[in-house]
Amino acid sequence: MGGEERLITGGLDFGSLTDKVSGIVEQPTPKQWYLLFGLAISLALVMVGSIGWLFWEGTGTWGLNNPVGWGWAIVNFVFWVGIGHAGTLISAILFLLRQKWRTSINRFAEAMTIFAVICALIFPGIHVGRVWIIYYMFPIPNQMEIWPNFRSPLLWDFFAVGTYFTVSTLFWFVGMIPDLATLRDRATGLRQKILGFFAMGWRAGNRHWQNYEMAYLMLAGLATPLVLSVHSVVSTDFATSLVPGWHTTIFPPYFVAGAVFSGFGMVLTLALIARKIYKLDHIITVNHLEKMNKIILVTGSMVGYAYIMEFFIAWYSGNLYESFAFINRAFGPYSWAYWIMFTCNVITPQIFWSRRARRSIPVMFVASIFVNIGMWFERFVITVTSLSRDFLPSAWDYYMPTIWDILTFVGSFGLFFTLFLLFLRFLPMIAMSEVKGVMPEADPHHYPETTGGEK
Amino acid sequence: MPSIKENTELTPGKTYWRSLDQLADTPEFREMVQREFPEGASELNNPVSRRKFLSIMGASMALAGLTSCRRPVEKIIPHVIKPEDVTPGVPKYYASTMPFGNESFGVVVENHDGRPTKIEGNEKHALSAGRSNTWMQAEMLNMYDPDRVQIPRKSGTISNWQAFESAWKQQYDKYLETEGEGLAILSEPFSSPSLRRLKDEFQKTFPRARWVSYAPVSDENITRAVEAATGTTGTIEYAFDKADVVLALDADFLLMETGSIKYSRDFMARRRVSSEKDSMNRLYVAEAAMSITGGMADHRMRLRAGDIGPFAAALANELESQGLDVNIGSAVAPWKDHSFDRKWLQAVAADLIKHKGRSIVLAGRSQPSNVHVLVAAINEALRNRDRTVIYRNNPDSSLSSVDDLKDLTDDMDAGEITGLIILGNNPVYQAPSDLNFEQVLSQVAFTAHLGSHADETAQAVQWLLPQSHFLESWGDVSGNGSRGIVQPLIAPLFNSRSALEMAALIVHGKASSGHDLVRETWAGILPETGFEKAWRKTLHDGVHTNSDEELLKLRYPESIQTYLENNRIFANSGVHEIIFKASASTYDGRYANNGWMQELPDSITKLTWDNAALMSRETAAGLGVKNQDLIELSLDNRNVRLPVWIQPGMADGSIALEIGYGRKHAGRIANGTGVDVNPVRQRDGMDFSTRISVRKLSGSYALACVQDHHGADEELLAQHAIQDRLPELVREATLAEYREHPEFAMGLAEEESLENMWQDVELEGKHQWGMSIDLNACTGCSSCTIACQSENNIPVIGKEEVMNGREMHWLRMDRYYSGDVDDPEVVVQPVGCQHCEMAPCEQVCPVAATTHSEEGLNQMAYNRCVGTRYCANNCPYKVRRFNYFNFTKDLPEIVQMAQNPDVTVRFRGVMEKCTYCVQRIEVGRITAKNEGRELADGDVVSACQQACPTDAIVFGDLKDPESRVSRVKEQNRDYAMLGELNLRPRTSYLAKLRNPNPALEQHT
Repeated sequence: MGGEERLITGGLDFGSLTDKVSGIVEQPTPKQWYLLFGLAISLALVMVGSIGWLFWEGTGTWGLNNPVGWGWAIVNFVFWVGIGHAGTLISAILFLLRQKWRTSINRFAEAMTIFAVICALIFPGIHVGRVWIIYYMFPIPNQMEIWPNFRSPLLWDFFAVGTYFTVSTLFWFVGMIPDLATLRDRATGLRQKILGFFAMGWRAGNRHWQNYEMAYLMLAGLATPLVLSVHSVVSTDFATSLVPGWHTTIFPPYFVAGAVFSGFGMVLTLALIARKIYKLDHIITVNHLEKMNKIILVTGSMVGYAYIMEFFIAWYSGNLYESFAFINRAFGPYSWAYWIMFTCNVITPQIFWSRRARRSIPVMFVASIFVNIGMWFERFVITVTSLSRDFLPSAWDYYMPTIWDILTFVGSFGLFFTLFLLFLRFLPMIAMSEVKGVMPEADPHHYPETTGGEK
Repeated sequence: MPSIKENTELTPGKTYWRSLDQLADTPEFREMVQREFPEGASELNNPVSRRKFLSIMGASMALAGLTSCRRPVEKIIPHVIKPEDVTPGVPKYYASTMPFGNESFGVVVENHDGRPTKIEGNEKHALSAGRSNTWMQAEMLNMYDPDRVQIPRKSGTISNWQAFESAWKQQYDKYLETEGEGLAILSEPFSSPSLRRLKDEFQKTFPRARWVSYAPVSDENITRAVEAATGTTGTIEYAFDKADVVLALDADFLLMETGSIKYSRDFMARRRVSSEKDSMNRLYVAEAAMSITGGMADHRMRLRAGDIGPFAAALANELESQGLDVNIGSAVAPWKDHSFDRKWLQAVAADLIKHKGRSIVLAGRSQPSNVHVLVAAINEALRNRDRTVIYRNNPDSSLSSVDDLKDLTDDMDAGEITGLIILGNNPVYQAPSDLNFEQVLSQVAFTAHLGSHADETAQAVQWLLPQSHFLESWGDVSGNGSRGIVQPLIAPLFNSRSALEMAALIVHGKASSGHDLVRETWAGILPETGFEKAWRKTLHDGVHTNSDEELLKLRYPESIQTYLENNRIFANSGVHEIIFKASASTYDGRYANNGWMQELPDSITKLTWDNAALMSRETAAGLGVKNQDLIELSLDNRNVRLPVWIQPGMADGSIALEIGYGRKHAGRIANGTGVDVNPVRQRDGMDFSTRISVRKLSGSYALACVQDHHGADEELLAQHAIQDRLPELVREATLAEYREHPEFAMGLAEEESLENMWQDVELEGKHQWGMSIDLNACTGCSSCTIACQSENNIPVIGKEEVMNGREMHWLRMDRYYSGDVDDPEVVVQPVGCQHCEMAPCEQVCPVAATTHSEEGLNQMAYNRCVGTRYCANNCPYKVRRFNYFNFTKDLPEIVQMAQNPDVTVRFRGVMEKCTYCVQRIEVGRITAKNEGRELADGDVVSACQQACPTDAIVFGDLKDPESRVSRVKEQNRDYAMLGELNLRPRTSYLAKLRNPNPALEQHT
């Protein structure tokens, strides 16, 4: 532990930690929860309604037009997939890098990931013109022997996001087994049975722990490349095309950095709220938050570097269309979006150079929301601005969302929060077993140094 | 509505007209048939729900279904033995002629199982020569217009032809006694032997009656000038194929003037080059409003319409001073002193003199007669008459006359007219507003109106009688040295009669068939011996040489001098000059209810679904208005309010208005679309007027423009970007530059062969299709766009969807300005799918719905398309069109009859685009195979190519080195747009050339 501050404060021990975390799901449902859940599910229903209208009337209910074939739906897709990056990154990569502070936040960050990916997957599903034959995109054997076009990045997308979702869910579930068992042991009746089913007979034996640790390590190893690949593949939707502003090799790393950036922004926003409501400030301490802010600063600066590099390369290429695409972003009809993006993503995180700002809850709360606004606009700028003015000026047009675009997007937050509130209500939001592993009690130094701190 | 539904459900399958009539004989049914539109149609008045018209069309489907099947119910016995010449699914082609005012276009109509589906030009016809304009194409939709009058009505209630016949018989007998005192016929101007015969008979039967012809857009100024100059009424024809220098004074002879199809072709015959060794004609244009002719010009001068006359006078003086004896005396002497660009004038005069006998000076139909007489004198002095300028009379015609109309309305006002028969035209909407036609019409005791629609005039007459479309009727036409027969392609869809049949009923007091009337006339035209054979040949060919027309000589110089002395040329004064011109879409309003035409972007302004007050930036600044602001035009207590559109190239002070919009009673598409400017169009200012006052109003009106969505207001950034890339996209040079650098059109892609990242796929098809578009020959007339729309069942989407940027045209006409912001040069470029060999759309489609054929076609499998729109995003030409809604589902059945059965109608959520007319390729292939031969060059003609009046589009097999397209692509002006992307488009362009006068080179 060296000179680092304690990760868990407030004098919590194993027992009180278990009580605190389990207590959240065991106590009677608070009124506040019902209120929030009602709100969230209403919003989710707004999305369902908007999608219903979309299916009934056609894609024309959205603001799309001829040059701009992809609008808010794809923007939202990339946005939600981006948010879905933090969870697995925290769980898998930080696990492999032995970043113990991750334990306090990894569980709900993973949950957030899964819900964000669910929200994300809705959009490519509904944005097609003929949703009833969307199965043509799946490699289903058929009597005509027609396969999807494996050269199309949209198909890669389908595989990449699908794999990511599967592995993330598996990872989340495996990590939760010991905690589910804890809850099971504290529950009675039907509740015990259900939890018992999902706890898969966990008895916390040595063999269980050994297998569990190995499985978790392997899944972490499996998930790590996926964290990097999923947004890289999403970026190929754009990068492999020839649209100026899309057709650029910087996209894969730039997208991943942006995704981590936005993912941490969202984790921070949610963590700050949950921490406040459930009084978890001893488990999710300012130290944890500061570390996340550092990541936001790093990835935000990477994103800023990418923005500037894009401009430079556009100029350096000497390509008429390429340079215009970027000048148009900054000074064309969508410059407002560009500068919102730039301010939120590049300027906002710079505040975290200051330690005081990094440790100030109000500052980081505002900044985290700015980050997410900025990242949504980044996707908007990339998708819409590039399409609205590409090669032939005769085809240029301006894109505006309709009320249905807006309602669908707002509604997707409803779905996200509905799922998230259900998670908070029924599943342990803090990885108890993992947090215990980083508490001083887990490393009491009873043993000679050669055995390390483990068991 | 339910009653029909229930009743029709009694019998399985589709039930039509007569049997249904019996089935659904309920009071509600009868009421519904009587109503012009089903309930709910009034919602159409809401301009923002333009898309709604589609769904309302759905509501009227049942109604349309009643009348749309034209197979006689009594004869439904299927063929046991197939008639020799009828194969279901194989179209037949018939020649006919389309009357268009005093003009006529020979057409060949594609007929699918008795149902006309496509109009093409007739190769044998002098004017159309196998080519067509937008209006010819659009007539298809005009015939299948569900808003046509379907049943005769008396004072709004349903009647029938028998009732009218007996009512007329009473009047007829009465007028016979009074020699026609108080009787008048108001018809459209025509050039038709049969109608002319009836008109003469009418005058004989009723010596005191009168027959007046009037059209709001006509060549009246020209025919009067010809009368003044030659002593006989007649028309002027030009031989552009023999002219090296052309000066067009406010004359849009490539699109809007009479003869434009022929003139476009002839003009291009002298302009087309195949190598740097060829020569080109030179075009000077002086005009107020930017036209496509102005866009084509080598030198264009912005000149107010009222300054055209003085300019012509100054030119006459200049020609005199350069030694040409124009010989018109003192009439133009005052214009020796003028403020026109002298250098320009000198250069033009010198060029004209240098090309004596090989030049043309022409003035547009909107210029007053004295300008035409002066121009005739100039042409005479240039020895152009009978070489490039021909004066010809046509005894078969009846010409438009505003003065006659004025006399008629005066007499109507005085109560001297007791019976008025209106044949086809719509004077309440079209007549000069100071004639108060609607008001004086109410003073006539017996009024009957033969019209295709229950239009503005129909609201004010007693008898409304349905008029047959020319595709449904017999008739004849004449002009340009030939006569032609109008033969029906289909039995009348409704209970209608042609103008000829109606005229015969009026003249004879009893009905007769159009066929008999025409044959009767032609008995006097065709030789008596072998009449039947000659008649059938004329029907087959569509045309017959007219020997009655004669060339006219000018009474030069004396009569002309006198005329010009008496009709001096003056400049008009006034801050603003309001110009009225026919719309390139709706013409004079007759195409207002035609979705294709309403949605066709104007060649220059790119506006759809509306007319606007076009003005220059300076004029707008003077009025303090910007694009889409509303202004009010007032004249004698009549006001017109319409939005402003700033049009580069407009003369300062001129405001151009298009007539033909703002219809009140023309149908679901036309009503309330655009603004009717006729209220400020008076007899003394039919073409342009300075008496109209202009003021700015508060508020604005959204216009649907398909290009430069902010019009001239586009921000600087975009303007610069457009100017930066224009030389790449539309390659252009002067003839001199071309001669110096014959390879100027070569770009990066042509200079060095670009490396392919992947292994090239060999296309092994027997034919490899490709297209070449000659930008030097393309005028931008948009004929190809409508031909494509007609051929390929392209839906009309309405103003709101155009504003949403979802227009569906497979072949769009890009228009760019270059040079001076206020006085730019114009280039146009037709862009359809380029059929890239390395198509970026194919690569990104996740379901492989768009693929490449072995013959090099970029294909769409509509059934496979899920509609991700990725292909459209990745298309650098942005030619892919997405069905954002189900645009065709609710088409009335009658409109469905206009659809091409060889082309799939696309569903909602599907991408579509130009197919190179793959259906025509297949027809060509099948025909060749049936005939046991190889597919030859010219067997497959794409719809755009077939329509193009200037032959700018060439399509064919690139694998055949002798094919026209291969040879054209060999030219050094050939280039691929965006070729540097290495997509290897199969459509390439031939660079544009201009031929400026070296003496004026610094000038532009």
